[in-house]
Amino acid sequence: MSQYVCVRVIRMDDVDVNLFEYDRNNPLYFFLMNADEQIYARYGGRDSAAVDSYLNLDSLELALAKGLELHNQWKKGEWKPAAPRPAPKFPREYPLLVQRTFAQGQCVECHLIGDFQNIHRQLDGTLDKRKHLWRSPDFKVIGITIDVPKGLVVKQASGDAAAAGMMAGDVIRSWNGARVWTFADAQYAYDMLDRSARQVQVVVERGGAERELTMQLPLRWWLTDVRWRQSSVDPRVYFDDRPLTEAEKRERNLPVEGFASMVRRVADMARMMKTHELAVGDVIIAVNGVDRDPDANTAELYLRLRTKPGDTVQLDVIRGGERIKLPLRSLQMSFRK
Amino acid sequence: MSQLLRACAALAVFPLLAASQDAGGIQWLTSYREALKEARATGKPIFLEYRCEP
Repeated sequence: MSQYVCVRVIRMDDVDVNLFEYDRNNPLYFFLMNADEQIYARYGGRDSAAVDSYLNLDSLELALAKGLELHNQWKKGEWKPAAPRPAPKFPREYPLLVQRTFAQGQCVECHLIGDFQNIHRQLDGTLDKRKHLWRSPDFKVIGITIDVPKGLVVKQASGDAAAAGMMAGDVIRSWNGARVWTFADAQYAYDMLDRSARQVQVVVERGGAERELTMQLPLRWWLTDVRWRQSSVDPRVYFDDRPLTEAEKRERNLPVEGFASMVRRVADMARMMKTHELAVGDVIIAVNGVDRDPDANTAELYLRLRTKPGDTVQLDVIRGGERIKLPLRSLQMSFRK
Repeated sequence: MSQLLRACAALAVFPLLAASQDAGGIQWLTSYREALKEARATGKPIFLEYRCEP
């Protein structure tokens, strides 16, 4: 560490948020860079299970060593950033964020950057919920388990990763064309992938040689549990569900390609705010008469992707074998109003 | 677990890093601009940490 200039930033007030772009729901995130503000590597990353799933002192040491190596290459003129620097953007350029923080003398917290970027995207019509709300895709969805202390060494490959030829012991070197040195590099490169993509090019190192793999991606490869992103994903629907299996859909004469789902938890807020009367075990088969969607595998996901906060929709529900209709009103987080 | 608790858990992962380095004389700057200046003056790379203070 003594070979680095170490700086800790806890207020985002003056940060170039385009240069230092990352999933703001990482409470810790690191950049290894030079005095010309060129980034060698990132360190951090997370999954839905925990903020520290990929934080490890051994992998940090590997990242620091790689940073020094790249820095020495840069000093000799042998390293250049892969992409030009993005146009700078600062928190003061988001008017609603200014109202919420600067104007009230409050700290610009990391997650507020992400939240207010999305509020402004929603206002100017550029919000892609799949990309901007479901950040930090999970490698385990495609069968990649990382050996965390070893950086980007694959501990186990199954599913889509195994089908593409990935094996335990491979070291991920490139993701979607981006050179990656750390888990955070790889997760960020994955996060930048178009959500409609159905395959990704991955380079792995095996036995001293690099191999390019074409990995097929499943529908909803980007989908993760976002309940922990408390302030990030509107509308609020106040229930959780799970997709019905194909067999469960056939039993109920429902289309297998539909998003029929079973309610598994109802939040107390639903009763307090009188937003809906769903009960655990209800099967939601349609929303406003729509029963399928290319991106949604549950009614909850359909509501989050396709409806606006404050909308009232009509749900088709199976309860105790009977088909009933129930209204549901979604809500918006108060700070977004 | 709330986001705040999760954040606290994450921050607890790296106290050794900060503590041992502080004990070893590593200075954590708090100004990004100062870090750029020092990196230019010393030729060192920068280790930039964004940390959400709970």
